[in-house]
Amino acid sequence: MLLSSVVLVLREVLEAALLFSLLMALSKQLQISQRWVFSALIIGMLGAAICGFNVDRISELFDGVGQEVLNAGMQYGIFILLCGVGVVAILYARGFAMPAYLLPVLMAGSVIVALIREGSEIMIYLSGFLLGSEQWAAMLTGSAIGAGIGVSVGAVFYYALITLKPRRVAMVGLVLLVLIAAGMVLQATELLIQADWLPADFPLWDTSALLPEQSVTGQLLYALIGYEATPTALQLGAYLTAVFLITGAVFAATRWPHADPA
Amino acid sequence: MKYHLLERALLLLFGIMPLAFTAHAGPPEFELEIRDHLFIPDELRIPAGQKVKLVVYNRDSTPEEFESYELNREKVIMGNSKAIIFIGPLKPGEYPFFGEFNPTTALGKVIAE
Repeated sequence: MLLSSVVLVLREVLEAALLFSLLMALSKQLQISQRWVFSALIIGMLGAAICGFNVDRISELFDGVGQEVLNAGMQYGIFILLCGVGVVAILYARGFAMPAYLLPVLMAGSVIVALIREGSEIMIYLSGFLLGSEQWAAMLTGSAIGAGIGVSVGAVFYYALITLKPRRVAMVGLVLLVLIAAGMVLQATELLIQADWLPADFPLWDTSALLPEQSVTGQLLYALIGYEATPTALQLGAYLTAVFLITGAVFAATRWPHADPA
Repeated sequence: MKYHLLERALLLLFGIMPLAFTAHAGPPEFELEIRDHLFIPDELRIPAGQKVKLVVYNRDSTPEEFESYELNREKVIMGNSKAIIFIGPLKPGEYPFFGEFNPTTALGKVIAE
């Protein structure tokens, strides 16, 4: 009981923590204020609570697939926000004049939506136990441990990023941004296939012999870049399209002619 | 010459059109129950190679999450509720699933044949 709480909460926290750490590292690198972090965390957790308590109503929407549609929508939303983060970060680094709040708002938005997405599942899990059970203490302890491990992994990730040489941080940071964003699109597409909004098909390949999704590395890669052992053609296409779109947007930002020769 | 071709084309068209109005049967439905943190039945046999609609009834009062790495599906089902999950098409084989909120007891597998 305790162990399954640890695993469950860890998995959810990990996904949000990795994105969070990446954006924090980018903020530090660009020397912009990291104060968006606090508001983002609070708003995100409030949003997760609201979502968690309304799951039954949400599930009924769209003919019984409201959960999938809303979660997919949030993940596509994060993708768009991360495209914005990439583009604005590049323009900011190149010295374009832009409102100081823009990048923090985009980053905060991404974290908030990610927290709602992951946090709501934890809330639902916890709500199952409030209905009076002896295992409550074990569940709470397990959840705290799981959250702690997830946050620690995020912290290690953050420090690994900021101790890289400045030039490297930009490259690594952007590559990770692209992969995390594409991972979101992959997961969202999978949800819509589950909801029968997108067509299902046989998978193209099966790499579970090489790297099972259930393994620790598999789970880490899933949380970070959306690793999938048995992707269908549609999922692969969505992933590649996402990579292409965000890479293209970021690349265009590096080439955008300077308006102010400041 | 042209007239004969047109005639043939129209005949072909009117021959095929009725097929377009043939009732399109939805995917086969299968039911799964969650009771006392167990999946009932714990082995679900479904036809391979086609999309299948799973209707999962959660008879417990607490929520459960139907999850499977092999099937790539995850969905929360609140207590005393049901959920619809589409799976497949699957190649013949066994595809385990579990209840993430109670992973030691809620275990099962889909057998596609």
